[in-house]
Amino acid sequence: MAEHFRFGDYQHELGYGHDEVSFNALTPKLQRDLEGRLIPYQPTPIKLMSKEVFKLLQPYVSVRFMEQVKSVIPLALYLALFQILILRQLVEDSWVITGGLFAVIVGLMFFMEGLKLGLMPFGTVIGKRLPQKSPLPMVLFITLLLGIGVTFAEPAIGALKAAGQKVAVERAPYLFALLNDWSELLVLVIGFSVGFAAVIGTLRFLYGWSLKPLIYISLGSVLGLTLYGAFDPELTKILGLAWDAGAVTTGPVTVPLVLFLFVLLRLVLKETLKNMGEIVYGIGLTIIGMCLFNAGLTYGLSKLGGNVGSLVPAAFMELSTVPLSPLYIYVVGLVLSLVFAFGLGYGATVAEPALNALGTTAQSLTNGVFKKKTLIAAVSLGVAIGIAIGLAKLIFNLPLVWLIMPGYVLALVLTYFSSETFVNVAWDSAGVTTGPITVPLVLAMGLGFGNATNAVEGFGILSMASIGPILTVLATGLLSDYNARNEALAVTKASGIPHV
Amino acid sequence: MSETITYLTDVAMITCVVQSGDADDIVKAAREAGATAALVYHGRGTGIRERLGLLGIAIDAEKDIVTVLVSSDQREIVADRIFHAGHFDTPARGFLCITPLEKAATYIPQSVKDRLTKKE
Repeated sequence: MAEHFRFGDYQHELGYGHDEVSFNALTPKLQRDLEGRLIPYQPTPIKLMSKEVFKLLQPYVSVRFMEQVKSVIPLALYLALFQILILRQLVEDSWVITGGLFAVIVGLMFFMEGLKLGLMPFGTVIGKRLPQKSPLPMVLFITLLLGIGVTFAEPAIGALKAAGQKVAVERAPYLFALLNDWSELLVLVIGFSVGFAAVIGTLRFLYGWSLKPLIYISLGSVLGLTLYGAFDPELTKILGLAWDAGAVTTGPVTVPLVLFLFVLLRLVLKETLKNMGEIVYGIGLTIIGMCLFNAGLTYGLSKLGGNVGSLVPAAFMELSTVPLSPLYIYVVGLVLSLVFAFGLGYGATVAEPALNALGTTAQSLTNGVFKKKTLIAAVSLGVAIGIAIGLAKLIFNLPLVWLIMPGYVLALVLTYFSSETFVNVAWDSAGVTTGPITVPLVLAMGLGFGNATNAVEGFGILSMASIGPILTVLATGLLSDYNARNEALAVTKASGIPHV
Repeated sequence: MSETITYLTDVAMITCVVQSGDADDIVKAAREAGATAALVYHGRGTGIRERLGLLGIAIDAEKDIVTVLVSSDQREIVADRIFHAGHFDTPARGFLCITPLEKAATYIPQSVKDRLTKKE
């Protein structure tokens, strides 16, 4: 027997709490047919005991549930606390709202998971097969149809329609008609433009066009139309809706789209999908999730937002619904309201999951010049400023044109001076910020606020929330470019090499 | 520049397959057990997921694969830590295997080399 043992060998031999089973005992014995060929082995389904099923499902559910909790709860808390501490009002129907928020969380959880299981497989297969099997015009036509389908399926569009019922007929007749009598046509028009934009986007991607001229052309014509609308007293009231529609159209998608994709897959591409059971389950989940989300939206987020929105003005003006109002001196109350809007915008955006994804892309695209943290901070700051300005618009009853025009002209100027990468990231960030949580919350708050202050309509806040991040991201991009250049200059100077 | 290559012997490789997103926990556990470095890459798994039927949706088909190089003395304790940190004792959470490697080579800092030669 050896006198010395290596401690590692000792540890290995000891094998604290280890058992060994030969894998051979677990693998199946293969059968051969009469001619000696192997019969393909069919694995049997695994049966789990209920305890094992629970252990399997527990992490699956809890991870997805917590994801949504993280994005919804802080916002709801912020709203409730602001109402209780600053406005000194109790939250009405707090149980209904709590139930609603729970429904929003569960609904979003189902929806996201359903999307992943039921919709992603379509996307992957179509994305891979369509360009191979169809000529370019066909691809573009399908892109157009997709754009329309996506908009019809968009839950935030529903929020816009619901908001239309709160508009007073006699004060903004065109707006009322658009949102109530012609709402289907409105959605179709919005959908058509989304589809058109998607076609242009595809072409741009294929031919490597620069984004800048496209921005100049589209923004130029839109600003022109806005100016024209601004001089027509009736059309002025629609401007808010028009600009808000842009913010609403980019979000999650759902059921009619799946049907469309399925038909496309079977008829145009003649492809079939594996795991049909999973896809059916996924689509079922999206439907359940959507129902829950909508119910939760009405009783939870929208209600809370509308509640707070209608109460915030009490901070600086007299409201019949709130005793002892105004609660603060005019200036203090006004500042408090704007700070509230700012905080709401910041909080809602930081929590938006899509922004996180954009941040990662931006970081790798710019080789780390544009940090993910910087982007998230810049976008959130932009949204916060935008919402605060939007609120100020409602308080002082400023015409939207005054805010939109200089904002987008500034954006055009900054675009001109920025590099292509930053331009892409900046203009995309405007679309990312308005997700399924921000839109209903901000819309409801704006409308509640508008009703309380007797503004004609509560639209326009979202459009301000879209332009804010474009400006801040472009500015941050220019700043980091400038810094990087300065640093490079400093390095060359310090190393004694003349700068060429 | 020296021409000789210093090979490391007594190396083992631990390969773990976990559900996508769990890799960071594994790497952390391995590092706390003394592993120096880890490599993470992505893949797609099949097998158990299909055999579970509808329950299979609870398992992410996307996998993270973590490989950790350890010394043969370390491998038991690192594998142990990974097994528990990754909850490999629950269904479908992960899998690990240990492979002995013949030898490995990389840059070894001069100070470490000096220390090793002094010992002999």
